[in-house]
Amino acid sequence: MVTDDMTIVFGGNAGQGIRSTGLGFIKAIARSGLFPFGRQDYRSRIRGGHNFFEIRVARKQVYSHTEGIDLLVAITEDTVTEHLDEIVEGGGVIYDDDLDVDAEEMEEKGVKPYPVPLEQIAMEEGGAKIMANTAAIGAIIGLTGFDISYIEGIIEENFAVKGDEVVKNNLDVANAGVEYVNSHGYSSNYDLEPIPESGERMVINGNQAFALGAVAGGCNFISAYPMTPSTSVLEWITKHSKELNIVTKQPESELAAVNMAIGASHVGARALVTTSGGGFSLMVEALGLSGMTETPLVIAEVSRPGPSTGLPTRTGQGDLMSIVHASQGDFPRIVLTPGTIQEAFQAGARSFNLAEKYQMPVITLSDQHLADSVRAVDPDVIDMEGAEIDRGEFLTEEELDALEEPYLRHKFTEGGVSPRAVPGHENAVYKTTGNEHTEKGDITEDPELRTKMMDKRAKKAKTALKKDIEPPVAEGPEDAEVSLVCWGSTYGAVKEALEKLEEEGVSANLCHLKDAWPLPADPVVDFLEGAEKTVIVEGNDSGEMKKLISQETGKVVDHEILKYDGRPFTPEYIVQKVEEVI
Amino acid sequence: MPLTTLDEKPKKPQDVETTHPMEKYLRPDRLPHIWCSGCGLGTALNAYCHALDDEGFGLDDFAVVSGIGCTGRVAGYVASDSYHTTHGRAIPFATGLKLANPEMNVTVFSGDGDLFSIGGNHFIHAARRNVDLSVICVNNYTYGMTGGQVGPTTPKTARATTAPYGNFERPFNLPNLAASAGAVYVARWTSLHVRRMKKAFQKILTKKGFTFVEVISPCPTGFGRKNGQGEALDELKSYKERSVIRDGADPTKVDIKMDPDSDIVVGTFVDKEKSTYSEVKEQQLAGKV
Ligand SMILES: Cc1ncc(C[n+]2csc(CCOP(=O)(O)OP(=O)(O)O)c2C)c(N)n1
Ligand code: SF4
Ligand SMILES: [Mg+2]
Repeated sequence: MVTDDMTIVFGGNAGQGIRSTGLGFIKAIARSGLFPFGRQDYRSRIRGGHNFFEIRVARKQVYSHTEGIDLLVAITEDTVTEHLDEIVEGGGVIYDDDLDVDAEEMEEKGVKPYPVPLEQIAMEEGGAKIMANTAAIGAIIGLTGFDISYIEGIIEENFAVKGDEVVKNNLDVANAGVEYVNSHGYSSNYDLEPIPESGERMVINGNQAFALGAVAGGCNFISAYPMTPSTSVLEWITKHSKELNIVTKQPESELAAVNMAIGASHVGARALVTTSGGGFSLMVEALGLSGMTETPLVIAEVSRPGPSTGLPTRTGQGDLMSIVHASQGDFPRIVLTPGTIQEAFQAGARSFNLAEKYQMPVITLSDQHLADSVRAVDPDVIDMEGAEIDRGEFLTEEELDALEEPYLRHKFTEGGVSPRAVPGHENAVYKTTGNEHTEKGDITEDPELRTKMMDKRAKKAKTALKKDIEPPVAEGPEDAEVSLVCWGSTYGAVKEALEKLEEEGVSANLCHLKDAWPLPADPVVDFLEGAEKTVIVEGNDSGEMKKLISQETGKVVDHEILKYDGRPFTPEYIVQKVEEVI
Repeated sequence: MPLTTLDEKPKKPQDVETTHPMEKYLRPDRLPHIWCSGCGLGTALNAYCHALDDEGFGLDDFAVVSGIGCTGRVAGYVASDSYHTTHGRAIPFATGLKLANPEMNVTVFSGDGDLFSIGGNHFIHAARRNVDLSVICVNNYTYGMTGGQVGPTTPKTARATTAPYGNFERPFNLPNLAASAGAVYVARWTSLHVRRMKKAFQKILTKKGFTFVEVISPCPTGFGRKNGQGEALDELKSYKERSVIRDGADPTKVDIKMDPDSDIVVGTFVDKEKSTYSEVKEQQLAGKV
């Protein structure tokens, strides 16, 4: 029977090529027309320590990983110990027959042991032990009947730079893996059939999608300090900075990074800063500078669980409150909380427009789960040409030439946004200060002016809310028994939970806030009022979005499903908790 | 005769009798450590433990403070009171310890990025104050923990994940920075100079004031392989070829360059006496100045 949905896990130590093997396999899966979801689980260390890469393969688009492992590839003994209990009955373990693992224990649990001399095959057919992972891929192919040509294509591409011999050796090793499994009479319950003519796919993770979105949105400056799990955005943009003509700077700290970006933005660059929670905390003072001086600023905060250094390589949604309220004094900011590849891409592109239109900080809050999880999407999702660039109220050279009255950088206007002039024009030479100021930019302590300036800045948020903040994504039947509210990466698991609930006879719908702040209160109220029983699902321990919703709408979500163990939600977990609630 | 031949399978850890000679200063329950094979951090920690032993330190006589990074994990392996703080803040945290409890012998053990990039400001001010701290910086020219980004000691032209076209910046010369900011003891050794490194550690553990040792150390994973330095052993060989011991050398002249033929000057560059922050404070409070 053709397999609709299965999970394969590669496990080993950091540094054993688990991730690159997994990524290669994902590409092959995507090319065959099947839909992968890959999730990396790693520790805060460079070498050693159990790591795994989990790949779900399905016949339709998937948005989350799920519980249960069908095939486990164990490069180390620890992998078996760590995951044996997660393997479904009828599943199996591919392992090097040199490993000291208990095959009997597996069989008792209804799990099939598939010992394969992975290293030996690698040595004999390829001449190097590191090809053991390729042999394991061969074994998977043998067990699932997957068409090897897709893997061969990937091997040819991935190893081309290393020369024909390396390519040939890897191909031989992969084929020998298949051959070994077939000739030893190993069988499995799985059958991975390609879906022909399913069109091109793009294999991509959330950080890559955000980075591409930023480039499409005209980002031409990035200053950022490395911090897991945000670093790959900085690294990717830096790597391509020459061809993309982007100024990149890794300065001495997050404080330097954010202030450099504000400086660059002040003179007209579309400047980006990437970081994680700890780095964001250091940027808080500068956030206020951007707010007060009305300088556009784009920050991507890829969060990990705190407080403090927390769990550096894990996931969590504990930074929402901190971002919405960060820095002294009241000033508006926009917070985007994408939950899919498409939303991450769009957030990258939209941020710069929003920051320039409203002249305020715009923060995209994602997390390790969205950042590192790999999916295959329709290439149209990453529409590099389609992103519109809107610089907002930006005085052109001609408008400045024609300017007759003195230029007022912080001019009072109806929507609160003052036309912006980039420094360097004789008709618009102006001062900028983090002190309270007049329309012209001079320091003032006048109580009336102060009040008017505060109101002006606040008004921009209202304008943004009306014109640009997108309503939550709503899915599922309107008259559902239970209504789930979520935001950010949790959307994927919630979306899949709806289907599972339906299978179990529970009708559920969802409301996913992809734009979190200013909170789109009206549609949220509509959703909550129309719901029978409401449940918030979020990855923190205090129900941060739940609190923000109460604060902004006066509505209290009935129940909470919270998780703060550093691991992402699974649809199964949500289903189980929903069932407890109803 | 070699101890093991290549085709002989290495013994599994449980088959080998293992007690580290310096076990009393370490936390064996935290082993194996997280560092890559070939990393120079173990060598530096080992030399530090030997220095403690030679000076007769008990576990309650000293504290180790680290920031965040591969080097920052040192604090977690030392059996005394130890503190794994936030990135860049080991020195102010340690200063707090020292000012509140002057009896405590405090060592700061951290990486080049931690101490000189994000924490650079704290370093120069602590040195200027001459607060009584022993600071050890393991300089591997990179941010090891986060995967090999460029840092404040990365040599010009060297490659890093965030310097794909080669580093455009000039690095800090750490001994010069420490000396000019006011450190009373400044030395540099490589992870090959184990005995001399240990002696330098003994010195900073016992000398009053702001003392500093830079340990040049291989990071094959984050730096070596990207920069044609080969594996750790090759890097150690290059230290052997490149390092020249020049005690008393002018710290302004000990820059490290990418050029494989250039010298790495090592030695004790500064060893002078100057009243510490606490001593100055005592004197002034007593009205003696
Ligand atoms: C505020 C903050 N920014 C960034 C990081 C991420 N980070 C952790 S370790 C590190 C660099 C460590 O480099 P170094 O001090 O040289 O130590 P090494 O790993 O090389 O020993 C960075 C940037 C962090 N933990 N906190
Ligand atoms: S990454 Fe570099 S510094 Fe970190 S443990 Fe590995 S070799 Fe050592
Ligand atoms: Mg370092």
